[in-house]
Amino acid sequence: MKSSSTMAVIVTSLLAVVLIYVAEDIPGFGDPEAPAIKSVNLFSLPSDGVEPLLNQGSIPEPLVLRIHERGLPAPSRVEKISGADGQWNLFVPKEEMHYPKEEKYYLVRKVGSDLVISRYAFVVRWIEKGQEETGVPNMVTYGLADYRGYDTLGETSVIFTAGVSVILLLRRRGRL
Amino acid sequence: MKEKRTSIVIEVVSRVMIPFIQLFALYVIIHGSGGPGGGFQGGVIFGASFILYVVVYHWEGGRKRLPEGANTIFSSLGLYIYAGVGLLAILFSVGAAQYLNYGFIPFTSHFVENRALGMECVEIGIGITVMAVAASIFFDLAAEGGEKGDKEGRH
Repeated sequence: MKSSSTMAVIVTSLLAVVLIYVAEDIPGFGDPEAPAIKSVNLFSLPSDGVEPLLNQGSIPEPLVLRIHERGLPAPSRVEKISGADGQWNLFVPKEEMHYPKEEKYYLVRKVGSDLVISRYAFVVRWIEKGQEETGVPNMVTYGLADYRGYDTLGETSVIFTAGVSVILLLRRRGRL
Repeated sequence: MKEKRTSIVIEVVSRVMIPFIQLFALYVIIHGSGGPGGGFQGGVIFGASFILYVVVYHWEGGRKRLPEGANTIFSSLGLYIYAGVGLLAILFSVGAAQYLNYGFIPFTSHFVENRALGMECVEIGIGITVMAVAASIFFDLAAEGGEKGDKEGRH
């Protein structure tokens, strides 16, 4: 009895430590530049020789090679982000009907003497392109009914199942 | 319902209020794309209007307004509308099989507007299901007795 309660205390405190460690990693609430919300870091490159090419609007060879190594789609166009120094967007071509032919995919930032390449999170497209793609101004609604339509179909069928279960359990009079 | 009446004040006030509650529910469903709201919220408000009706006019009065058969049909109809819009999208997106991609359904000639209209249809479907299920669960839980109390009648 005594040893099991000691075990319980140890396990509980371990769980608490893990919880605190995980909570430390959660991005600050409401910070639009937080890594998990805006972009996921992929790799970094030394910037000498690469940066002028990016400024000229052509994609440097080592960058394409590294992206290819990671098995990610190859970029087709570079654009300097106006207003921010040392930041570029890389665009990726797309083949879908009725949609724009390219998508903003990689973010290149200059940090010190390195270039950090990261991939945009889906949330960025959700926020920036949502109204343009779906014609609905409410971000929650186009998320619920369009981008996550399958999810909402499942939710609705969960509610339907709950109703049918209550009917089967409580309405026992030989008819439905 | 024998000689059992709630207070006349409650009856009159709720008789005036219930249509407005239902109108507000429809407003919430339709304006889901422009403001806060949507199918789930509007459906629950609509179901709540039936629940208020049952609280005031008892079980029989409520069942007169929303018969059992209609309730069961409505609770599946909304889901059929939702899945049906998705299947329509498959039919019209010939060869691409885009389930639930509303843009391909030709409501208008414009792809983006089709998506907005398809979303409205889906929201209406969600609203119908949620309304019927919320009301149905309350009716079943409020029915006193079940097997035993069938003869005495319930209230």
